[in-house]
Amino acid sequence: MKDAITLKMSLPKIPDIELVAIEGLDRLARHLGIASDKIGEANILITEAIINALEHSGGEHPEVKVEFTMTKQDLVILVRDFGKGFDPSTVADPAERKKAGGGKNNRGWGLKLMKTMSDDFSISSGDDGTRITIKKILS
Amino acid sequence: MEQQFTLTSEVRNDCLILVTSGYVNNVGGEQIAQEFSRHFEAGTRKVVVNLAQSKVVNSIGMSFLIDIVDQLNDAGGKLVFTDLDPAVEKMLTIMGLFQFAGKEKSVDDALASLA
Repeated sequence: MKDAITLKMSLPKIPDIELVAIEGLDRLARHLGIASDKIGEANILITEAIINALEHSGGEHPEVKVEFTMTKQDLVILVRDFGKGFDPSTVADPAERKKAGGGKNNRGWGLKLMKTMSDDFSISSGDDGTRITIKKILS
Repeated sequence: MEQQFTLTSEVRNDCLILVTSGYVNNVGGEQIAQEFSRHFEAGTRKVVVNLAQSKVVNSIGMSFLIDIVDQLNDAGGKLVFTDLDPAVEKMLTIMGLFQFAGKEKSVDDALASLA
């Protein structure tokens, strides 16, 4: 990828650690001359991907690996946890759950938001954890 | 990038006006819900939420606002969001919040719509 810059980080499970990633993205964007209003949706995608990963990460020292590859045109976000994994196909659409009268639980929007707000989304999950890849066009 | 969450509130024309600043996460969402509950139990049914200074939010924080919209809807009340960042507005649209809540450019516009 021409003129791409990459930022890699390993985030421990501590409150609001996703803001470190948001700060990193902001600095990459400024370096590339990308206006902050162009990365608003990317900020939400990153936040959701990281809190989702931290929720599913396991073990004594849960951590999440995050990698951004950014050009002036687009951003690729890779988020990986090392938890037990889950079957994404069994995660109910929260909008459908609510329509069906699925109680007062209004949580569980992360996957829906990532799929809807991204330009490309993939998830693979197994016994060794979950890997989410998101592409967001910036220009 | 200042993300420390703060919440201020005032009542004007029988409307509760909540103004957030910083990251609306689970803790921020809970603070909003607690402040809302205090006024809801006292009879307030019109609420304005100004998110102008909250450019970063997460779905857990926003789920508390869905709870509030549900409660107001059940009680014949209404919530109006104002000063939304375009990305946050898109997020709230996907989450279905505008099926029952309104959105306006400013607090004054929101108060006029609720009058």
